[in-house]
Amino acid sequence: MSRCCVKTGVVGWGAYIPLYRLRSKEIASLWGFDPNVADSIWIEEKSVASVDEDAITMGWYAAKYALVRGGVNPEDVGAVFVGTESKPYAVKPSSTVIADALGISRKKLATDLEFACRAAAEGIRLAVALVSSGSIKYGLSIGSDTAQASPGDVLELTASSGAVAFLIGPAEESVAVFEGLTTYVTDTPDFWRREGSKYPSHGEGFTGEPAYFHHIISSVTMLLEELGLKPSDFDYAIFHQPNGKFPLQVGRALGFPKEKITPGLVTPWIGNTYNASALLGLAKVLEIAKPGQRILVAPFGSGAGSDAMSLVVTDKVLDRVHKAPTVEELINRKKYVSYAEYAKSRNLILRNVG
Amino acid sequence: MKHSISIFWRDRENHYKLLITKCRNCGKSSYPKLKRCPYCGSTNVEVVESKGRGTLVNYTITYFRVDGSEAMLPKVIGLVKLDEGVKVPAEIVDVPDLSSLKPGLEVEAVLRKYSSDDPHGLIYYGLKFIPSIIKKQ
Repeated sequence: MSRCCVKTGVVGWGAYIPLYRLRSKEIASLWGFDPNVADSIWIEEKSVASVDEDAITMGWYAAKYALVRGGVNPEDVGAVFVGTESKPYAVKPSSTVIADALGISRKKLATDLEFACRAAAEGIRLAVALVSSGSIKYGLSIGSDTAQASPGDVLELTASSGAVAFLIGPAEESVAVFEGLTTYVTDTPDFWRREGSKYPSHGEGFTGEPAYFHHIISSVTMLLEELGLKPSDFDYAIFHQPNGKFPLQVGRALGFPKEKITPGLVTPWIGNTYNASALLGLAKVLEIAKPGQRILVAPFGSGAGSDAMSLVVTDKVLDRVHKAPTVEELINRKKYVSYAEYAKSRNLILRNVG
Repeated sequence: MKHSISIFWRDRENHYKLLITKCRNCGKSSYPKLKRCPYCGSTNVEVVESKGRGTLVNYTITYFRVDGSEAMLPKVIGLVKLDEGVKVPAEIVDVPDLSSLKPGLEVEAVLRKYSSDDPHGLIYYGLKFIPSIIKKQ
């Protein structure tokens, strides 16, 4: 076991996926994309947050059920981290609204983290460090995004909404125990959103090899070397999912077969939920994993960085799965909306207000 | 309509939680949080938080426009009987089909946006209800 995560694990997890779905082929047709573009990146439909939802409301739901699954009193949580790149306020924390609404102790650390799609993974690392050092008993890391995409940008095919939360605590209470954590970050301009810009920009093909693939391969390789493990030692491998194709490609490059990756895939059916993307995959896998199985999860965030984590599932997972909505249930709960309804919900229509 | 920030902030506990008054004198429960039992007048009461689950009693639909939530119309306003036994008026959202709104429908409380002063103003959050994602065992 790595020294970074001594005797810590995931005590509870919660997920949230909005009810509404928009078919990617409708977006492609509206904006005149090649009809095969959605299939080429394996994206069938994406989740759409309702007009009254945002990163705070979705994060609240996921965090609520992380606490329910963990059976932990909110008063005992000592840190709340919210990883998001779609904060409802540029200045005013989301973490304090969620914590107060859940009745979490006022004696706590609380902050919003930003590192594109991997801020919530950094929140997990921070919570692990705080629990591991004995500074707090439980820490909550929430990944929640209403991902933005400029209308007509290819990014619009995938940018979606969702949230996930992980309650980190002592190993003896955990459903999965951390074995090791590594992080690899560099200055890489693959995707960004400037101050005051409503939509992000991206470096087209530059988002692939030098960004997504290089960083995930680097963090995972470091982890395998540190722990002395091989891809064959893992039962599941979950990678950040900007689309359905990239995680299979990066898994193949690292030596993980498709069968170990597909159980954790969510993006083809709900889109890229940014900070919730890979971590929703981890939640989905925890809901089917058996005690003793080993899971690799490697989120990625543009800018760029990747975290690789190895977890071993305990027998406590079995009775906690059905204490809250599962990812599978949330994926299957859906209602299709038109592009016009999506545009209204996501505030893409300019109008006079106030 | 601009809200009073200070009034909303002072009352935020009632927007974020379903707080029920339980009377230690007559044993009845009521909503919202009160200092005196509305049934027997006793001040020997305790406040407990509802688990946020219940069933729909009935509903109506409103098209009334209020500044800051125009995009949320029309709204389904329901009466929910909480599992703790008290009834709460609340907005019902994420209704896939109005024909699914029948008395007895299981619902759960969720945090949602109520309204926003304007694109630069404060966002007001509070509880609404959705059809339950997890059904009772």
